[in-house]
Amino acid sequence: MDLFEATAQALVLLAVFDPALWEIIGISFRVSLTAICIAIPPALLAAFLLAHLEFPGRRVLISLFNTLLSLPAVVIGLTVYLMLSRQGPLGDWQLLFTRSAMVIAQIMLAFPILVSMSHAAFQAADQRAWETARTLGIPSPQAFVMVVGEVRFGLLAAVLAGFGRIIAEVGASMMVGGNILHFTRNIPTAIALETSMGNFAQGIALGIVLLIIAFALNLSLQYFQGRGKLSL
Amino acid sequence: MEIFIRRCAAVGVALAVLLAVHISAQQAHGGGKLVRLATTTSTDNSGLIDHLAPQFERDTGYSLQVIAVGTGKALQLGKRGDVDVILVHAPTSEARFVADGHGVHRHVVMENDFIVVGPRDDPAKLGGAKSAADAFARLVKGKSRAVKFVSRGDDSGTHKKEMTLWRDAGVEPAWSGRFEVGQGMGKSLQIAEELQAYLLIDRGTWIFLRDQTTLEVVFQGDPSLGNPYGVIAVSPKRAPVNFGGAKAFIDWLTSKRGQRAIGDYTVAGTRLFTPMAGH
Amino acid sequence: MNATTEIRYSEIHKFFNRRHLLNRLSLSLEGGTATLLSGENGAGKTTLLRILSGLEKPSECRVDFTPGEPGSNPQPWSQCRRRLQRQVMYLHQQPYMFDGSVVHNLALALPRTMPRLQRGKKIRQALEWAQLEALKEAAAKTLSGGEKQRVSLARAWLRQSRILLLDEPIANMDRESQVRTVALLRRFKNARAALMISSHNHEVFCQLIDRRLVLDSGKLSPAQAPLLPGNVTPLARDGAPSGNAGNASR
Repeated sequence: MDLFEATAQALVLLAVFDPALWEIIGISFRVSLTAICIAIPPALLAAFLLAHLEFPGRRVLISLFNTLLSLPAVVIGLTVYLMLSRQGPLGDWQLLFTRSAMVIAQIMLAFPILVSMSHAAFQAADQRAWETARTLGIPSPQAFVMVVGEVRFGLLAAVLAGFGRIIAEVGASMMVGGNILHFTRNIPTAIALETSMGNFAQGIALGIVLLIIAFALNLSLQYFQGRGKLSL
Repeated sequence: MEIFIRRCAAVGVALAVLLAVHISAQQAHGGGKLVRLATTTSTDNSGLIDHLAPQFERDTGYSLQVIAVGTGKALQLGKRGDVDVILVHAPTSEARFVADGHGVHRHVVMENDFIVVGPRDDPAKLGGAKSAADAFARLVKGKSRAVKFVSRGDDSGTHKKEMTLWRDAGVEPAWSGRFEVGQGMGKSLQIAEELQAYLLIDRGTWIFLRDQTTLEVVFQGDPSLGNPYGVIAVSPKRAPVNFGGAKAFIDWLTSKRGQRAIGDYTVAGTRLFTPMAGH
Repeated sequence: MNATTEIRYSEIHKFFNRRHLLNRLSLSLEGGTATLLSGENGAGKTTLLRILSGLEKPSECRVDFTPGEPGSNPQPWSQCRRRLQRQVMYLHQQPYMFDGSVVHNLALALPRTMPRLQRGKKIRQALEWAQLEALKEAAAKTLSGGEKQRVSLARAWLRQSRILLLDEPIANMDRESQVRTVALLRRFKNARAALMISSHNHEVFCQLIDRRLVLDSGKLSPAQAPLLPGNVTPLARDGAPSGNAGNASR
């Protein structure tokens, strides 16, 4: 089957709302959105503390998060697999080959990129924002919220980058999700499977969806980064 | 703007709660009616499992989840207790799995056979081979650069079979034209197609995928190319698996209904697997 | 002048970059007086002000919030950092404006528990006080330096700050803005607040300040030659060598 034929078929599949295709897309979004939403609050807090608090080992921690950025997804997948496997330390939770396991793996994937990029955003943030809030008598939690608000475009960029990483990630999802039909088969694992079975149209259709998502994310990233600069 | 962040936080909390509910719901769901089957890519890629699963679920009330991996990985998942039942094709490894106490109730449930596919012009002249050992010996005999062989290289049942066949042919497997690709059956077929190489493939996957390739069957029919599939329940003594569900799956698969379902499955009018429970 | 001492610092010490940036200083700030802090660039003026307001950690410092009262006891800086941040208002050289309008920025200075009606009234008063009525809906980040400084002072006014530390408050400002800023500072002083202003520009403040201190080589001393006699009267006590002051406070 040649490229054009496969692409044409893919577009037809998308256009007629092929239920199998859209179920997979739904699972992808459900898992990745849940993961990113859970990862955001602790990641922001960690990034903020790393940017504003002086404590021994701070630089080591920052380097550690930057290193974790380049960790292959399959390594995280393997780690989560070994944790969640029945013989692993968390085996009693019986989470392996469930969407929850995928959520956990994706949280771990998104966390370093969120921390690293938000840390950069907080560092770029004016130290005066925090100090001014404090001298105005605003308690720390609210002051934190205010500083988050001041660098929200940088943080949004971090969130979009994190989401972009996990929505397109195949290795960890395959390992801990098991690519079970109707259950843990998401866009990337489905592409891997359909390709191996020679169903290129399905693969390309899903690829187009990923492409559209990536494009939308990048577009909004550009937009928010532009806004961030203007608001300085 | 603060309101914006508070809303985000609220959404985050709501989603975290959702996940918690989600997890507990899954655990409740997984409590007894869920059977996890690790099987080979050959049974899944050939469409057999998609054919069997609805009938099994209707007959027994269990729901089946399928994880399709290589035979080696499937056995590994069983050893760790991450699945309840496995359906694989590597008799020696299966026997060891049971002997080591990882599994019980092993049954041979069906069979198909391996075939060798290759380029239409058949440069190594496998078409004239008298036995499987002869065919594999012919691959290296001519030392021709045009002769290539794609190996699964992934510890799957097919890969284990291939290694046995090299040994029987007295050939050192590490010859220059042999490529270990480390991929599933379908992917390996695609690579063999691109390289115009020979490939050992199970007949089920071949019938299912043969329309996508220009390769042809160059050798078949030797008794040593038999490919029996065994089903094994993971031993409940080592891990808290759903043993009842596994047992139900095995009982169903070896029953008249299960065996008929296997025999009924055809692709383009050709039967892919021969039921053989009780043999 | 019957000045009441608002706060007293002693043993202020900062070791930084292998030198004694601030070397065992003592300092009192008194209500209704304005102090001009001068010194070369890099002498440590900003560091000193930030330590006094609880924003930057000193190597050592003790703070007495009720000097002169019976039973008063200087506390280590680290134990009263939050209290310093709350009570001593530090105003950045370039005041920070949060996203949003001038009104939003002013509202931040009011307690969250304050009823809505009262908030509105307070903010109207602050706008009038700092002559910001015309700008109340403007985006605070887009204001000029002088306007930002007035918003910043209005926030301090809403906080009813008793002690204000200003870091170069009129640098890079046009003449008119400088005059308006000084006028607002005078109103703080008239309301018996203690002011400490670091600035290179002595002339603008000559009508306002009561004393001038020079920070040099880690030491604080009264200006030898007051530029503008009559208005600048050094209080010898604060400039005295730290050893004496330290002993006296124990």
